[in-house]
Amino acid sequence: MLRVENLTKVFPDGTVALKNVSFDVRDGEFLTVIGLSGSGKSTLLRCINRLIDPTEGRVIWNDVDITAASGKELRHIRRQIGMIFQQFNLVKRSSVMTNVLSGRLGYAHPWLSLLHQFSGQDHKRALAALERVGIGDKADNRADQLSGGQQQRVAIARALMQEPSLMLADEPVASLDPVLAHSILQYLELLNRQDGITVICSLHFLDLVHRYATRVIGLKAGELVFDGIPGELTRERFKEVYGEEAEMVTVGGQAVN
Amino acid sequence: MRASNRQGQSPAWLYALFSLVIPGSGQAVWGKRSRGAGLLLVVAALGGLILWKNTVALLAPLAGIWLWTAWDAFQLARGRQTGLGVPFLLGALIVYGLGVSVTEVRPARLVSSWPSMLPYVRALTRPELMTYPTNDVTGQTPIQVPCIDPLPPPTREATVSPRLITSVPCAAVGDFIEVSGSGYLPNFEGELWWINPIGDPQRVLENGVQALFMTDDAGNFTARLRVPLAVPVTSQPGPGETQTHVVRAEQHQPYGSLQPTQTLGLVIDKIGETIALAFMATVLGVIFAVPVSFLAARNLMAGNRVTLAVYYVVRTILNVVRSIETLMWAIIFAVWVGLGPFGGTLALWLHTVAALGKLYSEAIESIDPGPIEAMRATGATMPQVVVYAVLPQILPTFTSFTLYRWDINVRMSTVIGLVSDAGLGFLVIQWIRLNRFSSMATAIIAIVLVVALLDAVSGWLRQRILAGAPATQRPSPMRRLLTRGAAVVVFVLLFVWSWQVAQIKPVELIRGAPDGLRLARAFAIPDIISRPTQEQKVTVPLPVPCGSGATEPSAFSGARVSLSRSCGNVGDPLVISGHELPPNTDVSVRWVFSDGAFLRVRANCCTTDAAGTLRLETTISPLMAVNADEGRLEAGQVEVIWREVVGGPQISDAFKTVLDLSLVTLLMALLATTLGSFFAIPLSFFAARNITGRSAAGRAVYNLFRTAFNLFRSIEPMILVLICAAWVGAGPFAGVLALMLNNIPNLGKLFSETIEEIDAGPVEAVMATGANRLQTLIFAIAPQLVPKFLAFILYQWDINIRMSTVIGFVGGGGIGQQFRLWVGLNQYDAAGTATWAIVIMVWSMDYLSARARERLT
Repeated sequence: MLRVENLTKVFPDGTVALKNVSFDVRDGEFLTVIGLSGSGKSTLLRCINRLIDPTEGRVIWNDVDITAASGKELRHIRRQIGMIFQQFNLVKRSSVMTNVLSGRLGYAHPWLSLLHQFSGQDHKRALAALERVGIGDKADNRADQLSGGQQQRVAIARALMQEPSLMLADEPVASLDPVLAHSILQYLELLNRQDGITVICSLHFLDLVHRYATRVIGLKAGELVFDGIPGELTRERFKEVYGEEAEMVTVGGQAVN
Repeated sequence: MRASNRQGQSPAWLYALFSLVIPGSGQAVWGKRSRGAGLLLVVAALGGLILWKNTVALLAPLAGIWLWTAWDAFQLARGRQTGLGVPFLLGALIVYGLGVSVTEVRPARLVSSWPSMLPYVRALTRPELMTYPTNDVTGQTPIQVPCIDPLPPPTREATVSPRLITSVPCAAVGDFIEVSGSGYLPNFEGELWWINPIGDPQRVLENGVQALFMTDDAGNFTARLRVPLAVPVTSQPGPGETQTHVVRAEQHQPYGSLQPTQTLGLVIDKIGETIALAFMATVLGVIFAVPVSFLAARNLMAGNRVTLAVYYVVRTILNVVRSIETLMWAIIFAVWVGLGPFGGTLALWLHTVAALGKLYSEAIESIDPGPIEAMRATGATMPQVVVYAVLPQILPTFTSFTLYRWDINVRMSTVIGLVSDAGLGFLVIQWIRLNRFSSMATAIIAIVLVVALLDAVSGWLRQRILAGAPATQRPSPMRRLLTRGAAVVVFVLLFVWSWQVAQIKPVELIRGAPDGLRLARAFAIPDIISRPTQEQKVTVPLPVPCGSGATEPSAFSGARVSLSRSCGNVGDPLVISGHELPPNTDVSVRWVFSDGAFLRVRANCCTTDAAGTLRLETTISPLMAVNADEGRLEAGQVEVIWREVVGGPQISDAFKTVLDLSLVTLLMALLATTLGSFFAIPLSFFAARNITGRSAAGRAVYNLFRTAFNLFRSIEPMILVLICAAWVGAGPFAGVLALMLNNIPNLGKLFSETIEEIDAGPVEAVMATGANRLQTLIFAIAPQLVPKFLAFILYQWDINIRMSTVIGFVGGGGIGQQFRLWVGLNQYDAAGTATWAIVIMVWSMDYLSARARERLT
């Protein structure tokens, strides 16, 4: 159970990214976050694993206050929370294997790992994770030799190495074409259903939200403006979140922003 | 956009009249203030330069610009626009004229001085590599220069066997004399040498080549030679004096089998030193540059004010250090730690740290923050983030920059010896001074070979490291471990060997610290303002022995000097006291002898106390004794002498010199760049594949020009300066010539590559409209080439500015020559002024050319 309480983030330049946002996420949910670019989706996700420190409010996960954690405690919380990114954030010049293994850093020996030493078990785990996302044969390639969809799958494998119970996905398919988008989200859905990993995923496409989410929250200018099941997200409510122009860019029943 | 509202109120000629009186005033009154101010500034600046350099002929084009401003004002007032072409051309003419005048360009000397170049050219085709051991037969005889009457006996002796006799016992410089020898090897060739009074041998030259003689069957010969100028003009004997020189005739009969020459041995030795220097400087440079680069990376340091301040300080230091050329640092470090490889290594090292620090920090600034975020999200620690997200991103860039710097260091370490005893360059400059041209040629050829070879090595390494083996061809872990292990072993051995050869002695840095500090202090406070001083003195007579005549004591506004005894004998104790002298001032106390000569009573003495008194205990110098036999009757004196400030602060002489030489330096770079471009543009077309075509002849022309460009590019500009200084004489012209010769192939290569990249599309399109060749050239080709050519020329101008600050070290004129002289004379504050001028020059030109290039692209 993740509880977000009165979360507010003001950046040093005065930008208010989040305004008093509160919501709960039950274990096993597939929660999608929708909203315009700059509405605070990325900030919200990053406040959960403290890549960004919130200005006010608390994030409590399984009775542990993440916002109060620091140092080793924080790293131990982080290693249970996987994260994937819009730009995949792989180290392009390192091999796929190294990239996947780096997901294990939170567990690995802090000094031995600096020499790229991982246990045999970790290597097996990494290969298994790659097999699971369907690119077991690419382990020795350099990351930048892979296509965008493959790179995002490497990123998922890297997150799997953490054996997470919560997965944050920051617009994981925004840099991919629609067919690949489905394949990536299907992997996330698989993890959600099979492994019971809670997923919090920011998305842009209405049809993807309807297809994968079990629950939706909407952000507008840093404020929570919607919280419900996908079925409740009617065209009118969608327009509330995205503003009047949203309808203008609806193509073939698929709201694109 | 006309700002004026007076238009039409006054007749147009009135504005012209304004501008005729004060250039630009007409434009200003009419309403174009900035145009008027700009014109006034240009006319004033050019006029100032012309008057300063006293080049009256250039007043004509200046008058042209002046008249043009009147015409411009006239046209402006009539509502018409005039182009800036005419004043620009006239201005360029003036600047160019100034350049030719101050850099003493004398093209005629290229021809008239060709004979003095011949030995160099010949020698380059005949390097000394292998030789036979020889039986040497050497005879010598003294000769006095010039003749005086009566001629004293020579101070050196002639050999008996073999015997050498000159036709005259004495001669003047330039006279022909005859030498005859006997007791030499029969029917065998020999060389003539001239040895000056301090023992420096030089070859006797005949039309620029070694003078030779041939013995007859009996081993006798006679040869004619001209008495050379073997002593610097400043060390010539005074009137009524002569100096004893020596003529030497040598035969070298080879025997046995070929052996490497001593020259070759020395060259090989110094090749090792050169490589060690470059290696040491690069490795140590990297070690220091990495931490520095983190401090100089904006994205890491922008966090808070303290780190941001550190960032700015580090960046500024890096920029200052970089704008001072390596060779200049070599001279500075030579003062600090002495001549030798260590000083050279330090200079290379410092410049490497500054250059790599900047390049590395830019690599750090351009890393992708995404992977760092991803690593942090997995719960990684800070070191883990660095190893897994930062290093993989920056290592390849760092490696490529390091190899690039290694190439530069190899090149620099071959020439750093020109100013410091380190590497091959030292051999070159030493052998040039000794007129040993073929030895010099061996060293120069070695430099070219070393540079070419190590370029190839680093090219190979670059490919291996940066390409990375594809996944399918990964060697087995065992082999990888072995190759890595071998690489580490080689590296460590190379490091240890280089450490030895480069004579790295950090303790020297501490031992030389006082000199270094003195240098740093003088450099920090450049000599710009000085107060004129005047020598003041007070004296008191000291007759030795008593009664040998006395002079009156002298005083200066209350200051006076007194002695504990009014007269005495040699060796008597004496107390010298000064009263009412300027307080806390360095004074010099000296004996003044009856013939006016003087000697310090004690070295490094003395300083007055706060009350302006002085006390010095000594004994009377033997030189003070008055010897009546020699007719010296006046008694000696004791003198206290000091310098007192008179008048207000003034611009120092050093500053004036620096200002003057900065102008010379800038104009040298300008001339070299423009002349280089002028020759490079036509030549570059012959090295462009799309121009020469695919015919056999075309390919031959292409290959010829490309090869020539590459070959000449690999000759270090400093070496070219040396050769040009020998050709046309030391001075700015030699520098301009050398830079130009270096620029032609450099620019030629860049230009030809640009020509090869011409987009055929526009050419086709213009030709399709029915345009002729010239029209095609102007409308389709020139617009593609001109901006790029200009950008390259500006870039080269930038490099030339940097180069022209150091070519003076080896006879290329400009500010470098004066810098080296000042350092040699321990005038560090003047040298500091020159250094600051160089930093400012390099910075402002960097900035201007970067701005200009931005506008071009």
